Amino acid sequence: MSRIGVFVCHCGENISRTVDVERVAQAAARLPGVAYATDYKYMCSDPGQSLLKKAIAEHNLDGVVVAACSPRMHEKTFRKAAEATGLNPFVCEMANIREHCSWVHEDREEATAKAIDIVKLMAARVRRNRRLAAITVPVTKRALVIGGGIAGIQAALDIADAGHEVVLVEREPSIGGHMAQLSETFPTLDCSQCIMTPKMVDVANHPKITLHTYSEIEEVGGYIGNFQVTVRKKARSVDMAKCTGCGVCMAKCPQKKIPNAFDKDMGTRPAIYVPFPQAVPNTPVIDRENCTYFKSGKCGVCAKVCGPCAVDYTQQDELVTEQIGAIVVATGFDLYSIEPKPADSPIQGYGEFGYGTIPDVIDGMTFERLASASGPTGGKILRPSDGKEPKEVVFIQCVGSRAREKGISYCSKICCMYTAKHTMLYKHKVHDGQAYVFFMDARTPGKNYDEFWRRAIEEEEAVYIRGMVSRLYQKGDKVVVMGSDISVGIQVEIEADLVVLATAVQARKGADTLAQKLGISYDKYNFYSEAHAKLKPVECATAGIYLAGACQGPKDIPDTVSQASAAAAKVMTLFAKDQLEREPIVARVNERFCAACFACKKVCPYGAVEEKEIRDRQGNLIRVVASVNPGVCGGCGTCQATCPSKSVELDGYTDEQVMAMIEAL
Amino acid sequence: MIDLAKKIEAPATIDITAYAGATEAIRAEAAKLLTEGAVAAVIGYIPGRRNGTAIPAIVTSPEKAQELIFSPACVNNLALYLTRAKKEVKGKGRLAVVAKGCDMRALAGLMGESQLKREDVVIIGVACAGVYGSGADRDAPLAEKNIARKCRECRVHAPEGADVVAGSLPPLPEFSPVEAEELARLEAMTPAARWAFWKEHFSRCIRCMACRSLCPFCYCEQCICDRNRPQAVEATPRPAGNMAWHIVRAMHLAGRCAGCAECERACPMDIPLNLLNRKMARELKELYGHEAGLEPKEKGPLNEYREDDDQSFIK
Amino acid sequence: MHAAHKNHDFEPKIAAFVCTWCTYAGADLAGTSRMQYPPNVRVLKFPCTGRIDPVFILRAFQKGADGVLVSGCHPGDCHYMAGNFHARRRFAAFRQLLDFVGVDLNRLQFSWVSAAEGGKWVEVVTGLTERVRSMGPMREFKELELEEQWSGKVDTPELQEAYEAIS
Repeated sequence: MSRIGVFVCHCGENISRTVDVERVAQAAARLPGVAYATDYKYMCSDPGQSLLKKAIAEHNLDGVVVAACSPRMHEKTFRKAAEATGLNPFVCEMANIREHCSWVHEDREEATAKAIDIVKLMAARVRRNRRLAAITVPVTKRALVIGGGIAGIQAALDIADAGHEVVLVEREPSIGGHMAQLSETFPTLDCSQCIMTPKMVDVANHPKITLHTYSEIEEVGGYIGNFQVTVRKKARSVDMAKCTGCGVCMAKCPQKKIPNAFDKDMGTRPAIYVPFPQAVPNTPVIDRENCTYFKSGKCGVCAKVCGPCAVDYTQQDELVTEQIGAIVVATGFDLYSIEPKPADSPIQGYGEFGYGTIPDVIDGMTFERLASASGPTGGKILRPSDGKEPKEVVFIQCVGSRAREKGISYCSKICCMYTAKHTMLYKHKVHDGQAYVFFMDARTPGKNYDEFWRRAIEEEEAVYIRGMVSRLYQKGDKVVVMGSDISVGIQVEIEADLVVLATAVQARKGADTLAQKLGISYDKYNFYSEAHAKLKPVECATAGIYLAGACQGPKDIPDTVSQASAAAAKVMTLFAKDQLEREPIVARVNERFCAACFACKKVCPYGAVEEKEIRDRQGNLIRVVASVNPGVCGGCGTCQATCPSKSVELDGYTDEQVMAMIEAL
Repeated sequence: MIDLAKKIEAPATIDITAYAGATEAIRAEAAKLLTEGAVAAVIGYIPGRRNGTAIPAIVTSPEKAQELIFSPACVNNLALYLTRAKKEVKGKGRLAVVAKGCDMRALAGLMGESQLKREDVVIIGVACAGVYGSGADRDAPLAEKNIARKCRECRVHAPEGADVVAGSLPPLPEFSPVEAEELARLEAMTPAARWAFWKEHFSRCIRCMACRSLCPFCYCEQCICDRNRPQAVEATPRPAGNMAWHIVRAMHLAGRCAGCAECERACPMDIPLNLLNRKMARELKELYGHEAGLEPKEKGPLNEYREDDDQSFIK
Repeated sequence: MHAAHKNHDFEPKIAAFVCTWCTYAGADLAGTSRMQYPPNVRVLKFPCTGRIDPVFILRAFQKGADGVLVSGCHPGDCHYMAGNFHARRRFAAFRQLLDFVGVDLNRLQFSWVSAAEGGKWVEVVTGLTERVRSMGPMREFKELELEEQWSGKVDTPELQEAYEAIS
């Protein structure tokens, strides 16, 4: 730019009180490339902006420096004003002589000299600025939701209700997730299945939702607005189109002794099964590991009894590729396993609590299944060892959570509330029973949450003991719980009939593998990382990918649903336009000079750098170079600082611009 | 005591006959590869015109392969010929290369930087007891006074990861680690004294760019120091530009340089460039446990990070 | 608080390379909070410390900076997730190199200043300015800039005459 206009703002007196603005303007006029310089009382005011526009036209300016406040304040204002005159907005820059000068210095001489220097730097920069064009990326208005728990269901329904197509992928044979396993939910104690199953059915019936159950994400390519996602539909061995869901196959299956994982292994199921009666879709799958036919080639009963001939032992995994514009990750959580952990896990087990060795030590989810009307006991609280009704139940909180020595330092957030709920459910079912809770603190922030907890103590007579349990052991048919009550400083020993451990919420096993496929980041616990803890809580740093539910961190149902709807709203915002427009501060590769060492690719936090093949007209490979996808590039410029030959440049912060500023120091 | 015993056993000079064995093995392997058509060319060394010298050669026929040699005069790092800087060589097809242990490290580095695929190259490793220093007396047997500085502290005499290894190692004398000592001497200086040291050295630089031309890692299509929009490093051989060039060079090689010291050997002004390389290599090892060239690594130390990296210098 | 410095006979020039999200915003906050600090610093804004090339530091010294500050987001706060982590390694290596060629590292400071740390910005800038002021001008690079080949040694009368004729 060779005809730069410099506009020095008084900002009322904010600048002119300590900076001699007229002198700054006079000095600016003598700078190389500056064609016009003036000062004005309020540049950001309407008359100020008119003055700027008029000067651009009158003096045929091709670059603008507004010496005023911080660009964080008014850069957009002045770029817009410049753009209105037909200038490219990116040739307009601000020299910050208020926050960085007049407000922080008292001496008029010094402040004026510094202000002149600041203007000089910016003028030198603007001389090297390039005209940048906004970048547009086409958007495929089709969303992928990964995970069919309450988070995924909510997000899918919201997006689909807005009129966009949704592909919902669920790993298990049925959607529903953990919420489908719960008995009643805090703080209102409504039946989980009663509120969950209608939503599941809505998903199945929604004309805009394509449901892939018993499926996993195989591969993810592309970028915001333009992802290509390959889904592996695992062989169900049952033709979904033919199956009517009559259930005869399940009834006739001779192999019925398989522990039912949905009921936390308390009940059993056949080898051809749906995980639970309200499953969506209501199409069984054959568990090939346990099926007699698949193990020995004999049996085949299910195929024989199936009226519509839906059972198909030859079915293979199928790969489906979907074109996707935005992705919502809602893969949920796992519960901390308290059994001795495999050697490669950094997280230690709780062998001392007897889980896995003492049958009447169970986790919270097992208790949910005991309390659930659709559970293995029909909703009766009966302990696993002998099926007796427990009269004294000890609940232990923070098992795994907030235990740095065990490898987890975070709070699992939901356990205080569900333990309070468990004591209530127990009391409602066993009127003469007594619940004890060992706890560190009760964390009950949330609408009606503390009231709920108080009710457990005050009305449902749960005894809360502040302190941790040191040891558990079997004594006859009792489980002795030894712990301390630190509020009164005594040792406590309770002979319990049943012990329920509130185990920590953990990231899904394999969450890291999925994150690597998606190119999103995750923390040391494998929870997915949001782009900003406060201001971008549902966005991933990777554009076009959003988070919902406990895959991002422990969450209860209300928070999960809120986040799912928020993620859906973000997807709808993206889908509101046909083209995605973004600030053109992105990196570009100079293919001629790229030596293809791919250092840029290695450091890019966004995975925006790809390897591009350059071919001649006959299709012969000439060479491979780096290539930045402008739709994905975040604009940090780490690639450029890393590139030895500077063959990748960040628009808006080119070496030319920076060097020009350094020369002007 | 044990050390003392070793010292007594160690010979004062290197038995030169070991190199003859390597020569035979290289010739045989090269001829075999060329006859089979497994490679289009073998990059190796042939005798130079003057006695006691060797030059790099690209051999394409089994007959020519009989001219290949290995001797203490085989100083060049032939990895250079596999970089994009030597496009005409790479264009020949599948190649075999003769590589000393130190050259192997450059090859590993190039593989990590996507410049070379392991399957595209046959590596004829050679057990190397050492090579001549620049300007050394090449008539005398290889010993303390005429061996290259880098060879005195060599830890990679036997190349690892090569397809075949030619020759075997003779008993090795104990050499004084002059480079390590020089590094320690410099580090003990005040910054001002170090500045004076380097200023004197860099002021002599004539910017012939031999250091760059011989470096296997200076394979950029265009060197940042040749750019003039903007000019990051002054191109003329003035002291300011020289200082900038050598700082930029050392920084660009940090974490990548495998220590072949070709830059220093090629320098007509005897600037101790490998001291800079070694300094950076040591810092990156101390900071991030990284050693360049031990194996092809996907990411160099300056292309990756750990959240708990040292930041004691950041206030 | 800084009235005294007017009496100094040397005022250093400090170049500050900062990221726009944290340190630039922190410096803005120092302004809106009307904190006071010496006027020696010139701020060059980058999107991220990850964009800051060691060459810039070198160039700044060559072009007359007596001290250089590089400042960005605290670890974990990077707007671009990892730019400052990459910068941290890069500068950890680069400062060792500068030290080895004899640059006094007291002239080169790295810091993390968040958008909320206006006070820290003032502290960092004031501290560096005062330290560099007490060290005096950065002569090394400036002298190099003025020198010709062979350290400017003109040892024959003919050469001397020729040089004088040029200048």
